Amino acid sequence: MAETRRVIEVELPSGDTAPVVCRRFGSGATRIVIAAGIRGDAPEGIRVAHRVAAFLEQHEERLQGTVDVYPCANPLAAHRGTRNWPFFDTDLNRLFPGKADGHPPAQVARALCDDIAGARQVIELRGARPAFSEASQAIVRHDHEASAELASHANVAVVWRRAPGPAAPATFAHQFTGSIVLEGGTGNRLTPGVGNDLADGVLNLMVHLGVVPEANLPFHWAAIRRPIHVTDDSVHRVRAERGGLFMPASAIWSEVEAGGTLGEVVDPLTGQTREVVQSPVAGHILAIRELPVVFPGTMVARVVTQ
Amino acid sequence: MTVVFSIEAPYRGRYELHRLTFGSGSPRVAIVAGLHGNELNGMHAVNMLAAALRAQRPNGTVHLFPLVNTFGADEARKRWPFDDRDINKSFPGDPDGTAVQRIAAALLEATDADVCVDVHSGAPHVRELPQVRVPLSGKELELGRAMGLPLVWRREGARLEATGLIGAWRDAGRHALHVVGGRGITLDTGHSATIARGLKRLLGHLGLVRHTDPPETLADVDRTDVGVHRAPTGGFFVPEVRVGAAVKPGHLLGYLQMPIGGDRIGELRARRGGVVATVRAWPMVYAQELLVRVAGTDGR
Repeated sequence: MAETRRVIEVELPSGDTAPVVCRRFGSGATRIVIAAGIRGDAPEGIRVAHRVAAFLEQHEERLQGTVDVYPCANPLAAHRGTRNWPFFDTDLNRLFPGKADGHPPAQVARALCDDIAGARQVIELRGARPAFSEASQAIVRHDHEASAELASHANVAVVWRRAPGPAAPATFAHQFTGSIVLEGGTGNRLTPGVGNDLADGVLNLMVHLGVVPEANLPFHWAAIRRPIHVTDDSVHRVRAERGGLFMPASAIWSEVEAGGTLGEVVDPLTGQTREVVQSPVAGHILAIRELPVVFPGTMVARVVTQ
Repeated sequence: MTVVFSIEAPYRGRYELHRLTFGSGSPRVAIVAGLHGNELNGMHAVNMLAAALRAQRPNGTVHLFPLVNTFGADEARKRWPFDDRDINKSFPGDPDGTAVQRIAAALLEATDADVCVDVHSGAPHVRELPQVRVPLSGKELELGRAMGLPLVWRREGARLEATGLIGAWRDAGRHALHVVGGRGITLDTGHSATIARGLKRLLGHLGLVRHTDPPETLADVDRTDVGVHRAPTGGFFVPEVRVGAAVKPGHLLGYLQMPIGGDRIGELRARRGGVVATVRAWPMVYAQELLVRVAGTDGR
């Protein structure tokens, strides 16, 4: 039987509590961690965590190792559907490795790190960034070959070997060597199909990690998508140069030519076109903005080249 | 008044970054307030200083930026409201980047001065004694002390991120002072006036203006001199002291009670003597949260 335990329980001033829970499936030294809901505006990740947990519960006696599922690390933010931990208005994904005697979000970060330490593989589940639709993707450290190879089996369109930015050291994924971040869909929404794709990808990863027998997969391995691998140099951010309303003209993962139209920025009061936003390169659309209000400089799309 | 940067805003005209300049030549001082749109004690202090500088032309250049985050201030929000980005975590900025990155780049360029000051309020849930946060030694410590603010807090430089304005100024080789006073969301007129006097003393120290106000420093401390009192448990905190109060060891700082029913959970008493530097203002508190800081060496 799956064991559900409280990793940490945040006491609220009014007397209520907000627990961060872990559901443990199987047993054995090899331990895989699946964590979702570090931010409260990524319900897709939470959905995938629950889908995976349902599968693990059904097949627990066949597991060849331990799988710890943390379905929601930031329960108060998820409660509101906002990115940050409420009241402190703090991004939990900028607080790792946390602090045992810090304010509540820092305590949660510390408790998660302590609880997860020693796991063989950490998989973080997110949704798309706010205001965007994104193709399914696995993000790994640019210099970690093994995780990039493993991520090839995650049923995503793209494996992005990404160099850490200035904020990376304080993120959840950065705390665990070789971690894989899976994301896609629409910011703060559930997207039909994406949840199933990412859940299948997580199950397939567990097959390749030797924890789930292949025979138990609810799909044939040949159905798993083969991703392209890209580095930061292959991911092109496209920005609006005018303020207004961005009207996308392209769909996620569609092909675009160099100079092809990604959308247009229109005057919010008259609807007249202010700018036609073009792709600087030929490639696939990895992300496109779906919240229309933009300033000059707002990113409206990411285009990847192979 | 000069508009040093502007950017198209979809539904409301343009965002404009305003600068007031007094005097000319060296030395050059830049004073920034309102990077966070819900911290306006600095804006009030800078405007008080502007009134003084209109009456007394400085022997050098003083650039004042009373309110950087105008859009945030319109909504009482700390960050830039459009994408919820913190301008003070966007330095050195990027003239071709997002709106906040462009604002950050423009502000960094427009504050090319020998001495730079960034004025903030405390967070909305705490009230801070007007203070200058400075490195442990060097020219900035000298300048910070010259402000004569109630608290001089010597801190390790590593605590200030390079993505903040103070860190960006230091990376650019400018002397940078970080001033904090009062509480976010509210206007503390007394603390604003105290900060304005401190800014004027700084200009006096640099020879830009005449100044006659005596220093108001109550404590000049480093990390080891600051007693931090945290909540032993969650509850409703009732303070019994105000910032600036002198306390002795054992002084009652406040107490925690149950939010519903009011049963007293515990008392908070000073472990050392000194000056109350920080007091929690929003009463609903989580365990381990900061309630009171006492700055001083008495009884340590």
